[in-house]
Parts: sequence; C-alpha cells; structure tokens
Amino acid sequence: MKAFLSILQKEFIHIGRDRVSLFLVLAMPIALILLFGFTISTEIRNAKISILDQSKDTESKQLIENITASGYFQVVSFLDNETEIDHDFKNKQIKIAMIIPPRFEESLAVERVANIQIINDVSDINIASILNNYLRTIFNDYITEYNLNNNAAENPMSIVTTMQYNPELNSVYMFVPGIITLIMIIITALMSSITLAREKETNTMNMMLITTVKKINIAIGKVIPYMFLSLISTVFILLISVFVFHMPIKGSIGLLLLLCIVFMFTSASFGLLISAVSKTQLDAMMVTMMGLFLPTVLLSGFLFPLDNMPLFFQWLADIFPAKWFIIAIKDVMLKGATFMQIGKYLLILTGMSAGMVGFSLSQIDKR
Amino acid sequence: MYTIIVENLTKKFGSFTAVNNISFSVKKGEIFGFLGANGAGKTTAMKMMCGLLLPTSGTANISGYDLATQSKLIKKSIGYMSQRFSLYDDLTVFENMQLFGTIYKIDKKILKERIQNSLDELNMNNFVNDLVRSIPLGWKQRLAFATALLHQPKIVFLDEPTSGVDPIVRREFWGLIYKTAATGVTIFVTTHYMDEAEYCERISIMAEGELKLIGSPTELKEKMGVNTIDDLFGKFVSR
Repeated sequence: MKAFLSILQKEFIHIGRDRVSLFLVLAMPIALILLFGFTISTEIRNAKISILDQSKDTESKQLIENITASGYFQVVSFLDNETEIDHDFKNKQIKIAMIIPPRFEESLAVERVANIQIINDVSDINIASILNNYLRTIFNDYITEYNLNNNAAENPMSIVTTMQYNPELNSVYMFVPGIITLIMIIITALMSSITLAREKETNTMNMMLITTVKKINIAIGKVIPYMFLSLISTVFILLISVFVFHMPIKGSIGLLLLLCIVFMFTSASFGLLISAVSKTQLDAMMVTMMGLFLPTVLLSGFLFPLDNMPLFFQWLADIFPAKWFIIAIKDVMLKGATFMQIGKYLLILTGMSAGMVGFSLSQIDKR
Repeated sequence: MYTIIVENLTKKFGSFTAVNNISFSVKKGEIFGFLGANGAGKTTAMKMMCGLLLPTSGTANISGYDLATQSKLIKKSIGYMSQRFSLYDDLTVFENMQLFGTIYKIDKKILKERIQNSLDELNMNNFVNDLVRSIPLGWKQRLAFATALLHQPKIVFLDEPTSGVDPIVRREFWGLIYKTAATGVTIFVTTHYMDEAEYCERISIMAEGELKLIGSPTELKEKMGVNTIDDLFGKFVSR
C-alpha cells in the first residue's frame, strides 16, 4: 500500500510539473463548451426563400405574411413560373422554395383541403430538415388560425406539436453530454495511456517492473490522477452549462455526479485496456482515436442521430459505452430521471468496465 | 559459491531465436562482464535473469532463488540500471531515490539514512533538490547506480551503464563499481567499451544468441593468441 501511495504521489508530481499539459487539460473543456455553446447553433434565422404564388388571393397573401413575419425566412423573390425555382437555387442561394397552387382560398373554403408544395435544397440535410420543420409549423399555425376565424372546427386538420424537454431548441443542451463524454475519454483514457506508453519508451517502465511493485499498481497509479482531473473538468462543464447557458438540471445533482463517476471508471478501464495493448505513445494515440474517439463522436448519438443509421451501425453503437452514458445523462439533466430509471445504463457501463479491466489484467500479467 | 547459475536459457520471438541455449555461472562478489555486439542477445538474456521476460526454455537460479517459481524473491535481491539512463526526469534527485526506496518497502527512517549516506558518498548534496533533468549525464548515471543499491541487493545488473559519458567519468564510475563489489555485491555488467572489459574479473562473449567464450580477460587473450580484448572480440563479431 505504501509503495502504491508513493507511485500515486509520483504521478501527481508528474502532472503538477507539466504545467502546459495541465493547463491544456483544464482549459480544453471550457474552450469546447464555449465554442459549442456560442458558435454552433441549430437555429437558423433569415433563411432565403422564394415563393411562387399561383393563387394571389387573400389567404395565400396571409400565409406569406405569416412566413415573413416569423423571422426565420427572408423572401428573396416572388416567382412567376416553376422554371425560375431552379434558377433561384443556383443563382440566389435560396435554401427553400414554396409553391402555393391556384385556387388556394377556394379549395380551403370549399374542399377543405390546403396544399402547398415545398422544395428543399437537401445538399445540407440538417438545414433542409430544420427549415422544413419551421415552414410546417408556420403552416399549421396558419391553418389553426384560419379554422378559428371561419368557425370550421372539424377540417382541415392541423397538427399541434409541443416541444418537450428542450422547448427553446437550445443546441447547447445537446452538446453538453457529448462534451463531457469526449473530455472524460481524452483525459482518462488517452492521457493516462499515453503517459504510460511514454514510460515504456523512456525505459522507466523497466525500472519499475524490475522492482517488487505489482504491475497492476503501476497502471492504476497512472489512471487515478487523470480520473481526478476529468472529474474536475466535468464539474467545470456542468457549472458553465448551468450558469452561462442556463441549462436546467432537473434530476438530482448527486445522481448526475454518480453517473459521471461511473462513466469515468468506464473510460479509465478503456485507458487501462489501451495501455495493456500499446507499446508506444503513437500506438496509444492511434488506438484511442480509432477505437474510442471516432466511435464516440460518430456512434454515440452526440452529433448524428442513431435512429437514422443502418441497423449494423446501430448494433455497433451498442457496444461502445458513450451511447449509454449520453442517453442516461440527458435523461437525468433534461427529464429528471431517477436512479431506478437510469439503473439499466449504470449497470451496462459498470459491466463494460468490469469486462475491460478483466481483459487488461490478463494482458498486463504477461511477460 | 555461485550466485547466478544459468542453465540452457533460451528465448525465441516467433521463429527468431534471440538467446540460444546459454549456460554459465557467476560467483558471489564477482565483477562479471557480459559482452556482445548489438543484437547479440545480451539485453534479452539480462531481462530474463531479472524477471522482465519469461524464458522459452531453460532455468536459472538467481541469488539462491528459482527464476520460474520465485521471481518475487529474486526481484527483492537484485538491483538494475538500464541501458538508457532511466530515472524520472521531472522528479528531483531526492524524490527519485525516495520513490524507489519506498517501492522496495524500506523503513522510512532507514531509507532517509541510506539516501543521506549515498548522497554524501557521491558528493551530490548540492543537487539533492534539483530536477534530474537539469543535472549532467555523468551525475545522472551515478545517481541511477546509487538508487539501484538503496534496497541493498545481492546482485546488480548494469546494462551499458557508462554509454555516452567521457573517459574520466567512466573511470570514476568503475571506481564505484569496485567499491560496491568489495562489499560482497555481485556485479553483472554489459558494455561495449573493450577497455572496460579489462576491468572485469571474468567476461563472456555473446554472438548470434550464443555464448561463445567465457573466462578471465588474461586467460582468454592467451587462449586465443591475441593482445587485446578488442582483437578477441573481433574474432567473433564481424564489424
């Protein structure tokens, strides 16, 4: 135990004396969260739109009025025929076009059917679907209003959508769990495995292995200080998201911290695993990037929704811990989930760490 | 009275045989030079004797303990200084010594005394709170040697301890080695300086994973009819 404590002390000294790395490790999460919070936004304002109004009646004018007033769209031009749409997409950089068919008001009143056609520029899928949703909402509101004014309750049908859990559609809420995940992985798994590999390169590892200290103690001693650092960073991220971006924490703070600590252990066991299989710093870096970082960014649901992926990738996502952590942390922060509700995820994460620690131990003991 | 007995030790990495069936013995308190060109299998053989690598076949008895079954006891009774200087650069002289001392579970008071003694002996009191990174290479190597001796091992393995330092520092270092051997500690040293081989009581020459020759420097030179160890070495190693 004394031997282990002195190894631990040595690791803390290493980190404390490497000021540049320490600064980077502590500043990185702050920079990331501010970057994501302030610059990346899924809200679009003043998107360029062209409108072909073939009715030119009171109701179609009212609809157009609603669209302009929403603030989401800026009408670039009113068209005379359909061929001009293509021209506007190419030359006026419009993102979306709308066609209001002839007899709009009449069909609304008589046939109780309201048709409009929307043409999207889907070269950017995200923007297209967001604008589509905006336009749909405006259209629905318009129909509801029309029904009210004309005492036509039953028809035409309208869809009422209520935004739950993130009513302001604030994108920072989506990024906070992802950033915590990335930071945990970078600090706990990457940094610890790189410094361990560095000791293999500088031969100090042999000096350690020749002594009576157990190999597992060397590895655990490496990981613990980085677990501390990652926890500090996580608290920083949470503080910024609450106080700067007014993100709510609906669940209990204790549960949130417990969840973060469990995931910290999962990342740490990844670090152990990487250390066990890599001989050089470059190995450690490549293994972390390919085996951990990329799958976390791509397959955790942090940036890209998992539901739209081919089944194979959805299965693949299941075996990486990040997905489960992100689901659980969102549930706790935004929906106020209880311990029982996220128990399943905690179990999955714990099971994954146990498996990885077991495998690493069997590898580390080889000579 | 042999303190190192190696019998038919072999290490294969896949189809490559790094160490091929070597056998030899080293007496207690002896300074034994382990010579060979780069890639001859010296370091591999030494790593097996220290318990860093598992032999493919063969046995060894180090300081009275069996390599296969008593590696923990072996670790307690050996010291090691590796090829490249390898203490922690960002720890001070004192912190390095304390770290390795504590790892060997030396009592706190005794450790403090021993550290003070070896600092006095090495004249390193001025450096005690300096980062190891900032002290000259010659001092670093003396420090590494002193650190390897803190837990009072019976055998010390030195893997090219003097590579990269000037002749004066090398001679001083060998002074330390003699002093240590005089206290009954067995010194097992690899080197590629042929003049240093002359300082050893007995030497062995390894080439292509095999032990080609073993004996005292004078004995071997006579036997092979050469004047220097350098010439002797040249007979086995094509350079």
